[in-house]
Amino acid sequence: MEEQEILTTLKILIIGESGVGKSSLLLRFTEDTFDPEQAATIGVDFKVKTLTVDGNKTKLAIWDTAGQERFRTLTPSYYRGAQGVILVYDVCSKQSFNKLDAWLNELETFSTKHDMVKMLVGNKIDRPNHEVTKDEGLKFARKHHMLFIEASAKTNDGVQCAFEELVEKIIQTPGLWETSGKNLTLGSKGGEPGAGQGCYCVV
Amino acid sequence: MSSMEGGDRDKKLVSPKISSNVDDEADVFEITDFTTASDWECFIARLEEILHEWKLVNHEPREPALKDQYASGTWAERTEEVVFVDFRFHFSYLYLKGNDEVTPKSTNSKREDVEESDDHKTPTVFFDLMNLENDFPMRAHYLCRWYGLQEFFTLMPVSEKQYIDSESRAKLLLSSSSIAFANCNCSIPVFIQLHQKWRKLFTGTCLVPGASIEFEMSHLRKFPPQFCHLAGLLDVFKSKLGCVYISMPPVSVSVRFTYILKDWFHSAWPQMPPDFSSISDGEVGYGDLDFLPFGACTDPISELHLSCTWPCLSEDMIVENSLYSDLDPLQAPQWNVKLQMTDDPQCLLGEFLKDFLKLCDRIESTDEVLKKVLVDTDGDKHSAEITHALQKLTEPVPALSSLPSLGNVVSSASSRIKFKPNEAPIPDILMDRILLYLFPDAKIPRSQSGLKSPSSKSARKESNVSLTSGSLTSSVSEHTIDEDKKAETEKISDILTDLSKQLKSAPVDSLTHRLSLALCNVNHNFGGLLGVAHLWQEFILEMRFRWENKHLICGIEKGTPNMGSCLLHQKLQMLNCCIECKIKRESAGYGYGPDSQNIHNQLPESDVVDASSPKAMKRLSKAASSLGYSDDDEEEEEFFECDDDDEAGPETKVDDATNVKDDDSVEGRAENAFSSDSSSLSCKSDVNDKRKELKNTSRNSSMSSSIFHDSLSHRPEGRMVPMKNVYLLNSGEQLYIPITQEPSPMTEDMLEEQAEVLAKLGTSAEGSQIRARMQSACLVSDMESFKAANPGCILEDFVRWYSPRDYVVEGETNLDNENDLDGESPEADQKGPNVFKRGHLSQRMQIPGNMWVEAWQSARAVPARRQKRLFDDTKEAEKVLHYLASMKPAEVVLHLMPCVVHAAVAKLVEEAAQASVPNLKNIVEPLIARAAKVTRNFPFDKKKYSELLRLIEIAEVFTARTVSLRSKFTSDHLTSPEQEGKETEIENFVTALLNLGEVLVKGGACGPAGAIIHKMFIASQRANNMILDDEDNEEDSVSGKPNQESKKNSMQTLQASSEIRSSSSCSDFPAASTREYILRAMVPRPAPYSKVLPQRMYCILADGESRLAGAFISDTTFQ
Repeated sequence: MEEQEILTTLKILIIGESGVGKSSLLLRFTEDTFDPEQAATIGVDFKVKTLTVDGNKTKLAIWDTAGQERFRTLTPSYYRGAQGVILVYDVCSKQSFNKLDAWLNELETFSTKHDMVKMLVGNKIDRPNHEVTKDEGLKFARKHHMLFIEASAKTNDGVQCAFEELVEKIIQTPGLWETSGKNLTLGSKGGEPGAGQGCYCVV
Repeated sequence: MSSMEGGDRDKKLVSPKISSNVDDEADVFEITDFTTASDWECFIARLEEILHEWKLVNHEPREPALKDQYASGTWAERTEEVVFVDFRFHFSYLYLKGNDEVTPKSTNSKREDVEESDDHKTPTVFFDLMNLENDFPMRAHYLCRWYGLQEFFTLMPVSEKQYIDSESRAKLLLSSSSIAFANCNCSIPVFIQLHQKWRKLFTGTCLVPGASIEFEMSHLRKFPPQFCHLAGLLDVFKSKLGCVYISMPPVSVSVRFTYILKDWFHSAWPQMPPDFSSISDGEVGYGDLDFLPFGACTDPISELHLSCTWPCLSEDMIVENSLYSDLDPLQAPQWNVKLQMTDDPQCLLGEFLKDFLKLCDRIESTDEVLKKVLVDTDGDKHSAEITHALQKLTEPVPALSSLPSLGNVVSSASSRIKFKPNEAPIPDILMDRILLYLFPDAKIPRSQSGLKSPSSKSARKESNVSLTSGSLTSSVSEHTIDEDKKAETEKISDILTDLSKQLKSAPVDSLTHRLSLALCNVNHNFGGLLGVAHLWQEFILEMRFRWENKHLICGIEKGTPNMGSCLLHQKLQMLNCCIECKIKRESAGYGYGPDSQNIHNQLPESDVVDASSPKAMKRLSKAASSLGYSDDDEEEEEFFECDDDDEAGPETKVDDATNVKDDDSVEGRAENAFSSDSSSLSCKSDVNDKRKELKNTSRNSSMSSSIFHDSLSHRPEGRMVPMKNVYLLNSGEQLYIPITQEPSPMTEDMLEEQAEVLAKLGTSAEGSQIRARMQSACLVSDMESFKAANPGCILEDFVRWYSPRDYVVEGETNLDNENDLDGESPEADQKGPNVFKRGHLSQRMQIPGNMWVEAWQSARAVPARRQKRLFDDTKEAEKVLHYLASMKPAEVVLHLMPCVVHAAVAKLVEEAAQASVPNLKNIVEPLIARAAKVTRNFPFDKKKYSELLRLIEIAEVFTARTVSLRSKFTSDHLTSPEQEGKETEIENFVTALLNLGEVLVKGGACGPAGAIIHKMFIASQRANNMILDDEDNEEDSVSGKPNQESKKNSMQTLQASSEIRSSSSCSDFPAASTREYILRAMVPRPAPYSKVLPQRMYCILADGESRLAGAFISDTTFQ
């Protein structure tokens, strides 16, 4: 492929309950593989992939987060400056769907770009016994101004498409990514005490 | 008068060619030899080329301009450079835009009216010269003002030094352009600049079918007195027209006199110079240091220009000569007012802030700045030793480790910096005040004490509470404004809240905020850079003192650093976290080393307890007495956490905690009793454990009836709360959620750094592995706490608490195990391990050697408080202190700029609201948006801040203008019964005056605004003529009036004006500073039988500049 200037670097988050397949989605997208023995993420993980959408070459820095309750004191620190978020639930788990509101709340609190693009992904559609219908997913997405897609990391359904849609939407949102990168832009909600939670010091 | 008469002669040489038809011209140019083309021809060719380029060939006449369109419409300009030999010119086309947009219909109908024949339309220039709608436009190009043209060309020398000073050159240019324009059939006037640029002296020409126009001008410092009035000018005009005929139609005259009001007799500029001296002498209130000066030093409005216009009079109706004048400004039908603003009114706030920002250019470090005035450390050794000795007696053992890099200045944290006598940049007494302002909890002035500790410390503590309330009231008072305008107040508070949200600064009245203001003040009033360095050094000392002596920093809110505030504020918050942590750690002295002890708090809010609160007092009182303290403390905390679980839970001390209970009896109790009792039980057992220091012994009596199926490896420790209906898989014991370590607070730069480190590990599998390992510290810590709290537990138990979806209960098909905190599991009402449904770990947790298993295996049973601290408060505090100490004054200034800007904008909003500046929101909102953008930028950019300050200054000037103008127009001296009920009209007038250039005074002299202006002029006149007698001397004016008025009846209805007049021995108005006349007539030129054509002459008579600008049209057909 010809050398093309990278238009921008985008920060993408993947969040959702534990075990819904966040890391698998990411692995499918970045390496096009599926590992049934994907270990549970600890803290946050990080992958990079360049993606060309509409002739715009973008570099994606994708932050994969642990879904466990306890890690939520740690992971939101990495929400800062993200331009896009992929919110994942498991179509076979009503509970993972029910927790979406809490995740959105958290996002609202900790993200710094209020016009960030949000995408809802219902994962594991390859499995039988769905507990969440596509319609429910659609309704939720509509209510919260999100993109929506059902996908399966295992059978590679909708994964690529989800990321591409998200990036395209970000690129189309003016002011969201132009100043991306260097600046430490922080939440305009200055007032709330504890708005910026800390995280474990690990080094 | 300089004359251009010679033009006629030259023109005649040229005009035959022009007037000849196209065929003739073709003959002439048929045998042109281009090799010998002269410069002159080249020049003409170039002009023609440009005209073609601009598509002005065969230019259609434009519509006459609408009323006031010259001032309100937009003007456009196109420019090309042309060369005549080596003389460079700018050839420009200026035109009024948008005139073409007049609807075609109306254009057509109009055109029919004026068209003289089908192929001969009236040229634009004719309309323009006679257009009465745009006399004296408010703002327009001077040529437009003088000649009333809506389009014209100018030919001006490029260089300042080269100019056309000989008449022959002027004529040459004039004829060249005439030829070019005639060739292009372009009937737009062209002007050629003569003499120096500043003289604005032009000569011009225009060729229209059947006529040619000469634009002539004379420019003198002063005209001879016989021409300095209307009568004289009429003579000039008529003689120029060559009209000796009796039948000459009357000349139409438009006149405008402008009067300047310079002395504001009634309202001197009200700005009081700020009184900075109050800080250094007299009693001090906190208010002095956060005082921001505001307003302009000089009156931002210097002059008021009143223009009285008499549009379109007939020459017979008006008389003005050297002895007598009909032109009384009070009778003028139209009044316009314009303000002349002071160029640079020296705004206090702007200067103040700019001064502060200037420090950014200094590169010295704080130490370097202070070195000059610091005493040699040896010099004053004796007294220093004494103070040190005293400190050593009274202070707790200082600093675990003071950073060597901070140097000896800081090492004695609580001692003052020693300056040479009388050379301290900030005198002691002032420094005390500043420090008291910054740290209101330190009641004892530092200067009194080499031995400050016990008393000052207690004072600090006592005032901790009062501080919060005090800061509240002061912040409220800061916002109080005129009570009359409640809505206004609300609006302001809205803006201020918005400001706090938008800007990345620090809360109003926080320490950071105060520090920024104090430094600003110090910089401006006490020693500039030196003073700033001094105060900053003191500030660092205080920070270190507080860290070492465990005093929380007041004025910095608790909790983890707020990323919405500026970095410096976050750093101070961080330091406060460290101090808080240190207090807990050291006051909870179990006998373990400070590092092994870590008190945790699950609910940060519950910990927001001042040292003076009863609970803390209890804590402190018990601190001295051995073990009991920590037990109670522990217990209280336990209760605190438990309150969450049991709704009613009062904070009572459970004395029967040692009662023997078994699980069944616990189970049997009501829910709330269950949780509180069992937790107290567990903690009591903790206590006992500790006392006996056992690791592997049998259960003590308090836990006696619990049946443990598996062998215990240790006593349970660090339990927080039982997890409802969840039991250990192996033992069947209640599963307890352990007390865990709190996440470390982080500032945004730390976060950034950490994210960078994680990202740098790359995307490889190994990278992920290392990343996970790096972040597993908290996982391991939690596992250790869990193991300590739940003896005999296995990984499955941990996973059920930590990641419930990874424990698959048998019989359920998916990961969804509802057996979590919600307690909805089917086993809810069943007891004991026997009936507990078994499950297994999810597939991913079973991967051999995965991180979770690995961590579980490596985790020992250690309660959180004995674990290695995840948050090293000592290290972090030293990092912050080092960060502060290594800042140069320039950096300090930049770091504080967001707070300074915040305070400045808040001040501006208040002042502007007080002055009821019109469109306050429109002014402030963009300013806030801009400030938000700049303050969020990191690293700080000095240039952006100085731009921001410039914007603030502009708004300040505007506010000062409003204040000034309003005070002028609402001064008490001016009120009179007639003004009643007209306040709104005056208000509107003032608003318009502020926002627009020139404003029409409604009702002229009779209107409410007009009356006020009149009074101002009278007052100014009296003051200037030193008339003390206030008695009105009406007779003179009344006697002279009736006949004047009878003459003017036809044009005005200002009967009332005579009442307002209070003329006395001097006139109400000063001599007009500028007098402008436009004379127009329709006269046949050059011969009596020629066509009747428009003629116009403009004249301006002002101090030091008098100018005649005439446009005379002559018929080229019938001469």
